[in-house]
Amino acid sequence: MNQRSAVYLDLLGILLAIVAALVIGIFVIFLVSDEPVAALQALLIEPFTTLFSFGSILNRMIPLVFTGLAIVVVFQSGVFSMGAEGQLYIGALTGALVAVYLPEMSPWIHIPLVVLASLIGGALYGFLPGVLKAYFKADEIVSTLMFNFIATLFVSYLLNYVFKAPDSGGFARLPFVQESAKLGPIFDGFPTHAGFLLALLAALAVYLLLYKTKTGYELRTVGKNPLFAEYGGIKPKKVLILSIAISGALAGLGGTVEVIGLHGTLKDNFSAGLGFDGIIVSLLARNHPIAVLLSAFFYAYLQVGGQIMQANSDVPRDLAIIIQALLVIFVSSQAIFAYLKQRKLMSSRGGERVAK
Amino acid sequence: MADLLEMRNIHKVYPNGTKANQGVSFSVRQGEIHALVGENGAGKSTLMKILFGLESPTEGDIFYRGDKVVLKSPKDAIKYEIGMVHQHFMLVPSFTVAQNIVLGSEPTKGVLSDHQKAIAETQRLIQEFGLKVDPNAKVENISVGLKQRVEILKVLYRGARLIILDEPTAVLTPQETDELFQSLKKLVSQGYTIIFITHKLNEVMEISDRITVLRAGKTISTLITSETSKEEISRLMVGRDVLLRVEKQPAKPKETVLSLDEVSYVSETGKQVLNDISFQVRAGEIFGIAGVEGNGQTELIEVITGFRKNFKGRITFLSQDLAGKSIEEIRNIGIGHIPEDRQTRGACLTSSIKENLILDLYRDKSFRRGLFLNQKKINEHADKLIQEFDIRTQSRDTLAGALSGGNIQKIVVAREISKNPKLLIAAQPTRGVDIGSIEFIHKEIVKKRDEGAAVLLVSAELSEVMSLSDRIGVLYNGELAVILENSESLTEEEIGFYMLGVKKQEKRASAT
Ligand SMILES: Nc1ncnc2c1ncn2[C@@H]1O[C@H](COP(=O)(O)OP(=O)(O)O)[C@@H](O)[C@H]1O
Ligand SMILES: [Mg+2]
Repeated sequence: MNQRSAVYLDLLGILLAIVAALVIGIFVIFLVSDEPVAALQALLIEPFTTLFSFGSILNRMIPLVFTGLAIVVVFQSGVFSMGAEGQLYIGALTGALVAVYLPEMSPWIHIPLVVLASLIGGALYGFLPGVLKAYFKADEIVSTLMFNFIATLFVSYLLNYVFKAPDSGGFARLPFVQESAKLGPIFDGFPTHAGFLLALLAALAVYLLLYKTKTGYELRTVGKNPLFAEYGGIKPKKVLILSIAISGALAGLGGTVEVIGLHGTLKDNFSAGLGFDGIIVSLLARNHPIAVLLSAFFYAYLQVGGQIMQANSDVPRDLAIIIQALLVIFVSSQAIFAYLKQRKLMSSRGGERVAK
Repeated sequence: MADLLEMRNIHKVYPNGTKANQGVSFSVRQGEIHALVGENGAGKSTLMKILFGLESPTEGDIFYRGDKVVLKSPKDAIKYEIGMVHQHFMLVPSFTVAQNIVLGSEPTKGVLSDHQKAIAETQRLIQEFGLKVDPNAKVENISVGLKQRVEILKVLYRGARLIILDEPTAVLTPQETDELFQSLKKLVSQGYTIIFITHKLNEVMEISDRITVLRAGKTISTLITSETSKEEISRLMVGRDVLLRVEKQPAKPKETVLSLDEVSYVSETGKQVLNDISFQVRAGEIFGIAGVEGNGQTELIEVITGFRKNFKGRITFLSQDLAGKSIEEIRNIGIGHIPEDRQTRGACLTSSIKENLILDLYRDKSFRRGLFLNQKKINEHADKLIQEFDIRTQSRDTLAGALSGGNIQKIVVAREISKNPKLLIAAQPTRGVDIGSIEFIHKEIVKKRDEGAAVLLVSAELSEVMSLSDRIGVLYNGELAVILENSESLTEEEIGFYMLGVKKQEKRASAT
C-alpha cells in the first residue's frame, strides 16, 4: 500500500464514521421529538441559510483550528500532550495584557505584538512539561492535565483579584482591549472576524513546517519511530520539547485570537474546553494540518446547528453533543483499529526477521 | 515405502489476505528426515502450523496413514503422534528442565504433581535418546543449544513420533548443530520421523533423506537428497541461478581506519558485557566478528556508533577520538552503520521509502532550498538509489513497511553505502533476507571494500562471516577470544571452538 491509497482508505473510514454518527443522531431525533423534521432542518440546514449563522460557524471554527493544530503537532511527534487548554489560557493572558495595557498605536504594530506575546506565553507553557518529560521522565499526559488546572485557576485568580476591570460590573475580566489591537470583521457586515485568516495561515504554516522542513522531518520521524530517529542522529529530547512548545504557541495564539477577535477582552472561563475539542478535531483530521480546517468546520457546524435546533424545536442541543460524542467514538476506534493492524503487520514481519 | 502423512493441495489465506500457501502438496515417509526448504515467507512455517493444528487450512486435506484427518488443535496433532519444536522457544525460564518437560502433563501422585517421577521420566528420555541435559538445572541458566534439547524432550515426552523442527539451527553454533544432528539420526534409527525446516543448504545436504522446496506458497519439487545438489536446490528456491559463494579478490588493506584499544563496557545492570577488546580495521579490508548472539556484539557496535557512552578504553576513527561524540557527529564523520535490527532501528516502516533514504541528507544544505527541503532533489535521490540498489517497489512514496524484508534491508544498505563511508559497520546485514537479496548485499559490501572502505561485519551467521571477511575475530562472553586470518584452511569447527569458549588465544602482544 502506498501513502496515497492509505489516505483514501482513511478518508473513506472517516466519512463512514460521520455518516454513522449522523444516522444514529437522526434516529434519536425521530425518537424523542414531536417535530423531527423541523429539528433536523434546524440542525443540519439552517446553519447555512443565513449569513449570520454561517459566519458564526466560521467564528467558532477559528479557535478549534488553532487547538486542533496544536494537537496535530504533538501527536505527529508522538507526544501525547493534553495541554492545549492550559496553553490557550496562558497565551490568551500574555496576549491580552499586551492588547490591553500597551497604549493605542498602529494596528500593524499592535496586533503583531499581541500575537508575538501570545506565542511566547503559550510556547513557554508548553516548554515546561516538555522539559519535565525529557529530563525527569514525567508522563506528559498527567503533567499537561495538571498544568491545565494550574493555568485555568491562575488566570481566574488574576482576573478576579489582580487585573479585574473596574467597570466590569462583577464579571471577572480584563479591561477591553485597545481599538488598535482588535481584529475586525473580514469584511463589513459579515460576522466572521479576521482571526479566520490567521487560522488559515496557521494551518498552512503547520503544514509547511511538518512536511516541508528539516524540523518537520525530525518531528515526524521521532513520532513514527523514535529508535530510528535516534539512530539517524536526531535528538529525541530536543524534538519532544520543541514540538510541545510549538503546540503551546499555537494554542496560545488561539486563545488570544478569541480575545482580540471575538470577546474584545479576556474573560474568566472563556474557553470551556476548546483545548480538549482540539483533540477531537485533530483525531477527526487524522492529525493532518490541512484536514484540520475541514474537521474544525464540521465540528463548529454541529455546534451552531445544535444551538439553532434548541432554539427552534423541542430537541435540546445536547443531541448535537451526542452526535459529537459518537463521532469521537467511531473515529477513535478506527484509529485504534488502524494502529492494531499496523502493529500486527509489524509483528508478523518481526517474526519473519527471526525466521531467516 | 508408504507415506506416513500426506498434505494434499493445502491453501492458507490469512485474515489479512496473505496467501501463505497456495496448493501445497507434501508427504513424509516413516523414518525419514525430510527437509522443508524455501526462502523467507515461502510458507514453510504456515504449512507446519497447519500440520500441528495451530492454523486451519483454508482448503486442502491431510491424510495420516492413508486416512483423512482433521487437526483442529495441537491436541489433535498429538493424538496422531505429531509434535513440533517452534522457531521461538516456549519454555518457562524459572522452572527446571524436568518441570518444563512435563509441564502441562505432569505425572501425579493423588492431586499433587510428582516431582520425583518427573525427574525419573526425564532421565529415562535423556538416556534413551542421548540428549544430555541436567534435569534439575533451571532453564534460564542453560545455553540455547540445551534449551532446544529440552524442547525436543518435551515433544518426545508427549509421545510424538513425527517431530517437526522449525529452523532449529538458526540459533546454534556449529558444534551444537552437529550434536543436534547426531540426536536426530539416533531418533530416526529408532523409527521416528523428522521434518526439518531450514534455509541452510549445507545442512540440508548433510542431514536429510528427501527435500521439498517451497517457493511463494507453492510446492516446487520434492527431491531425493543424494540425487541433487546445492546449486539445484537454490535455483529451485529462488527461481533463478544464484551465486552461492561470494566472489572476491584478496584484500589489499591500507591504513588503519578504526582502532579499539582495551575497550570495556559495563551495562546498566552491572554486567561486564565488553571486556578489554582491542582490534583494528584497515581501509580495504573486511573485519568479521563471529560469535553466538548475546556475547557482546550488540554492545560493541553501540559503543562504536555512539549509542552507549561511558565505555573504558579508546576508540579512534582516523585518529579522531570517538569518546563523547554524539550519534549525529559519528554519522557525519564518515561512518555508515547498518544496524542489526532493521525493523526498529534501520528503517521507519510507516514512512515512505524516500523519507527513509534521507535520514542523514535532510540535514545536508544541498538538500534544502531556503527554509524548505528540496523535494525535487529528494525525489531524484530516492529514484537513483531505488534503481541502483534494485529496491523492488512501485514508487518512492510506498511505505517501507509494505516491502519484503529483503527490500527493506536494501533501503538501509542503500542509504548507508551511498553516503560513501570510510568505515561501514554492518550488523547482521542479511538476517531474514531472501537469497537473492543476500547475494546483492554481499556484493555491495565487497564492492565498498574494494573502493577502499574499512568494513566491520558482525553476523550470527558463521557462513556469512567466513565468506565475506578477510580477518575474523570471535567474541565470547564479551571478550575477543581470537583474531584469525581468514583462509581456505580455516574451518567452521575451528571458529566454533572459540565461539563456545573451549579455546582462547593467549593475550596478544600486539593486536593486528
Ligand atoms: N499470522 C499471520 N497473519 C498474516 N500473515 C502471516 C501470518 N503468518 C505468516 N504470514 C505471512 O505468510 C507468508 C508465509 O509465512 P511463513 O509461513 O512464516 O513463511 P516461512 O516460514 O517460509 O518463512 C509470509 O508472507 C508471512 O508474512
Ligand atoms: Mg518460518
